[in-house]
Amino acid sequence: MTTTAPSPSNPAEAPDNGGDAPGPLLRAWRAILTRRELLLVILLVVVLVWMTALSYGGYLTGPYDPDYLATSLVDAVPLAMLALAELLVIVSGRGGIDLSIGSIVSLTGMVFGIVHGLWGWPVAAAILLAVLVGGLLGAVNGVLIAWLGFPALITTLATYYAYRSLALVINAQKPISTPNIQSLYSLTGAVEIPVIGHDIPNVPLGVFTFLVPTLVVVWLLLQRTTYGRRLFAIGTNDVAATWSGVPVARTRLLAYVLAGVLAGVVAVYVTGQFASARPDAGTSGNGLALPAITIAVLGGVAITGGIGRVSGVLLAAVLITWLDAGILLMFEGNDGTQFQLLALGAVLVFCALLNSFTTRRYGGTR
Amino acid sequence: MADGSGRAQRLAMTGIAKRYGAVRAIRHADIEVAAGSVHALVGENGAGKSTLIKILSGAVTADSGTIAFDGEPVQITGTTDAIGLGIATVYQEPALFAELSVSENIFLGRELRTGPRIDWAAQHAKVVELLDLLGVPVRDATAPVGTLSIAEQQQVSIAKALAGDAKLLILDEPSAILTDSEIDVLFGVIRRLTESGVAVVYISHRLDELFRIADAVTVMRDGATVGTYPLAGLSVREIAELMVGGILNEDRPARTVADAPPRLELESLGLAGKFHDVDLAVRPGEIVGLYGLVGSGVAEIANTVYGIEPATSGEIRLSGKAVRPTSPRHAQRLGIALLPADRKRQGMFAFQPIAFNISIGHLGVLSKFAFWVDRAGERRVARELIERLAVRTPSERQPIGALSGGNSQKVVLARQLVERPDVLVLAEPTQGVDVGAKEEIHRIIDALAAEGTAVLVATSDLPEALRIADRLLVVRGGTTIAEFGRGASQVDVLAAAAGAGEEAAPDGSEVTA
Amino acid sequence: MTATSSPPPRTRGARRARGPRVIAPLVSGQEIVLLAVIAVLWVVLGFATPAFLTAGSLRPLFIEVAPIALIGVGMTLVIVAAGIDVSVGSQMMVCGVITARLLVEAHVPLPLAALVSVLVGAVMGAVNGVLIAWGRVHAIIITFGTLNLFQFVGRQIFGSQTVNGIPATLDVFGRGEPGQTLGLPHSFLLTAVIAGVVWWYLRQTPGGRHFYAIGGDALAAELAGIRVRRRVLLAYVVTGALVGLAAIFTIAKGTTTLDQSIGAGEELAVIAAVIIGGTSIMGGRGSVLGTILGALLVQTVTSGVTQLGWPSNLSDLFVGVFVIVAVGTDLLRQRTRRAAR
Repeated sequence: MTTTAPSPSNPAEAPDNGGDAPGPLLRAWRAILTRRELLLVILLVVVLVWMTALSYGGYLTGPYDPDYLATSLVDAVPLAMLALAELLVIVSGRGGIDLSIGSIVSLTGMVFGIVHGLWGWPVAAAILLAVLVGGLLGAVNGVLIAWLGFPALITTLATYYAYRSLALVINAQKPISTPNIQSLYSLTGAVEIPVIGHDIPNVPLGVFTFLVPTLVVVWLLLQRTTYGRRLFAIGTNDVAATWSGVPVARTRLLAYVLAGVLAGVVAVYVTGQFASARPDAGTSGNGLALPAITIAVLGGVAITGGIGRVSGVLLAAVLITWLDAGILLMFEGNDGTQFQLLALGAVLVFCALLNSFTTRRYGGTR
Repeated sequence: MADGSGRAQRLAMTGIAKRYGAVRAIRHADIEVAAGSVHALVGENGAGKSTLIKILSGAVTADSGTIAFDGEPVQITGTTDAIGLGIATVYQEPALFAELSVSENIFLGRELRTGPRIDWAAQHAKVVELLDLLGVPVRDATAPVGTLSIAEQQQVSIAKALAGDAKLLILDEPSAILTDSEIDVLFGVIRRLTESGVAVVYISHRLDELFRIADAVTVMRDGATVGTYPLAGLSVREIAELMVGGILNEDRPARTVADAPPRLELESLGLAGKFHDVDLAVRPGEIVGLYGLVGSGVAEIANTVYGIEPATSGEIRLSGKAVRPTSPRHAQRLGIALLPADRKRQGMFAFQPIAFNISIGHLGVLSKFAFWVDRAGERRVARELIERLAVRTPSERQPIGALSGGNSQKVVLARQLVERPDVLVLAEPTQGVDVGAKEEIHRIIDALAAEGTAVLVATSDLPEALRIADRLLVVRGGTTIAEFGRGASQVDVLAAAAGAGEEAAPDGSEVTA
Repeated sequence: MTATSSPPPRTRGARRARGPRVIAPLVSGQEIVLLAVIAVLWVVLGFATPAFLTAGSLRPLFIEVAPIALIGVGMTLVIVAAGIDVSVGSQMMVCGVITARLLVEAHVPLPLAALVSVLVGAVMGAVNGVLIAWGRVHAIIITFGTLNLFQFVGRQIFGSQTVNGIPATLDVFGRGEPGQTLGLPHSFLLTAVIAGVVWWYLRQTPGGRHFYAIGGDALAAELAGIRVRRRVLLAYVVTGALVGLAAIFTIAKGTTTLDQSIGAGEELAVIAAVIIGGTSIMGGRGSVLGTILGALLVQTVTSGVTQLGWPSNLSDLFVGVFVIVAVGTDLLRQRTRRAAR
């Protein structure tokens, strides 16, 4: 890609501000720029306050209250999970990215719909198959990119094309919404949390059955397992990783497989959410890959690899979800969707420029 | 002119000095180069040669001193100044665009035109003219430069410099990557250049070559020019003496190495195109040095032992058993560890904490079921190694990038020690490390050997090799040619590495040392 | 390598009767392969469905190809300089809706509307170019962002309606009789002319050659005195301008209404055409002729699939495979070259 891309500079060599102890204001400013979670929390608070103020002032078409926020988390689940998939792939370095993730969702969703909805397999088996197929589709990416050295961008662009077409062709473009598929809707409905549920809004079940376990697993994988260490190693410096004996190709390939697996899980969720296995589940509009990548970048993942945290991605996903939810209320009918586009685009450009700036000036975010 | 040839003076640098912070890269340098002559510049690593060249090419500016070009005082404040004067540099790595043609590479940025188009015919004619001048055959000017051999690319680089009306051409280690016949061609090119009045500054470690091509040589040592001498009447050994300056070897306590069967043996080891017929043996507790000039094959030999590029002939034996490491991972499983030469590129994970940098590659033993990282164990090992190697850091959690060169090198070294290797290969162990840390690292190496590790040090730092090695093998032209024991003189070793006894006078006849 | 003195083919600029070639061959090996593949496909399809090789189905093929090939010309510049632009689909939406509304509501004459469309496209290209060249961020991220921004702008202008009643003046680029000369649609002819100009520019002018240098090694190019940032900006601006013109072609080939789906997915077709055409995604190598052939191949596959009665979405699968093959070929070429040294 263009050499206008920033390369993470050595924090020890980052320019200092002259050597005097920085004042508290400057320190705070620097902390905000470099600690991504801090910035995201601040932005989240800003959005909440702003939207709530608008709501009280009667400017919104509906109440922006805790109940609404809780229900809107339904959309946060797939976005956050796909953003985690992108996190794995982008952290693996060497220009890692996965544009095909949305179409993997579509295709595995259709497979799930066919085996469970049309062929009557039990749910558990169908989910297992969906996940396996997702992993396989991810493995195609992984083999091309990690083993054969294909550039990730164009390769996943090509597989995006290929998988999308298969998803559409596999059932002649028709969605599958047989009764047993429709009954999956209960997977994603809202529930009352036991004991304390009385005083807080009902949270969508999917948050607990899909999102939280995924967050925990991915966090553990990255922070506590040998695989996670190797992943960060190859993303930070894959030459040094080779010289230290890390199996670079295998580690990177697995990242793409895991991304595919996550997409498979998302496919099941989305099928439940819409009570239908749709051939364009992950590819309608601009597709799910774009928001997933945006959230990952917003969450502090460095596009050059080696840097990224689950907490950042989670905060970014919630921020985008609640921002989008608010925007939807700001306009009549469906007009809000356009402004969601604006928000997403502006956020992406802004935080990419921000990431680039903090990398050059302060040696990257933490 | 100093060489008494009656040629006009092309370049005179007087009283040049340059420091980088507390480090004086050049204390005092004087050099005069005559037009139409080949002027060699020699000196050990760190003597100041590359800084002097950077000043001349405008990459850095001198702190003090004057430069005169063709008799006129000049200021060189940037690369455009240098290019404007007619100073061109050709480095080892050809700085060409692989997908563009020979003609385009030579004329990039100053294309010949007819109207809005490039005048291909005129450019081609000029390319033919330039290559003719250099005495090399005309090639397909439209072929992408990436399809040419390294030697041919070098020729294109030189032609490019000439196209820019170079009056002073600097060649930085040009022969390091060439075969013998290609070097002959290069020398032919250089002679044609000088015949047309171009002055050539020729930097090389290969002292024997200088006798074939250079008229005069300037020797640098410890940041200062020692003097300029005509090559006629000098020998390789004498030049080596000037480079080294009669520094005595520091006395080190004699080490006794137990007489045990060798732990590492290389027999007739070869890698096609890089090295051949390498024989060496390292006993447990012994430190064997492998010394050679840039391009001699030392680095490749070390890398092959570590599995980076498996050998194509010969045998490696570990404790008597033949092995064939095919990757660093494999080598580590066999018990061979290697400290890489280029710390930043091959060794460090810049943003990551010290503990990460130490444990990476050894997660198998620092985890449960090779899956769950044993963080307490990792912390313990990291702290032990930090203490043992005296790494200056408040905590193992500090990012390695915050450490100085010496300390980060110790961390990368610590990584090699996590699993107590049987054989430890150290490639350029103190490159880019300050003097204090250098001492410490040498002591660590001694201690490691004392514990029974077989140590192989591959280095192009001669004083280091002499200090640390029990036996020193010299590599030249891809094979081991000499062995020295303790107490060898620097001059002897340098001379052997640089080709003493192989000087040829400009007319091709041999000269005895 | 030895001196070559075979009699040269009729190359441009060679004024001597003998002597080595002074300029690279007109057509590269990969382009010849593409031409052959297209020819074979056409023959096979001609046998499989007799209707394929008739003017009735070939002409729409060229009409479909025109906008993709045209944008592809600009995208070739961008990718050769080691960049990428995934916002062209959204750019087309903006240019399309502005043109349509000018024609329908303001009754602006076609040439003026075309000019406005090109200018609007150029402005959007400039936004990309400035952010990428001066912002020092990866092109993929920036153009992902502008993809959204431009789409927002386009939707705003559309106002969630369709534009109806597009006048017949566009027929000069359309499907019917007024839209063709010598059996080829005007849009394709115009595309070919523009492609020819850019092809000449990339082969024969210093500015054009500099794109290849930038794609090869932007830093070295900068050191050689090339104004890298300006070249990069130019590549994106040209792409935007060509999108503006392609929008006119696209509107012309449709019915009299225009809806928000215009331009959707266009960027993928364009990028695929460029890569299949032999331009390396890593930059530094590529040609406009290859892009035109790549676009023709992609469209041939699409039309063929429809004509054969297969599910139309299957063509995307083939395109994906072709892209992989093209990238693989490029990788192989680079590796064998390095090994040969």
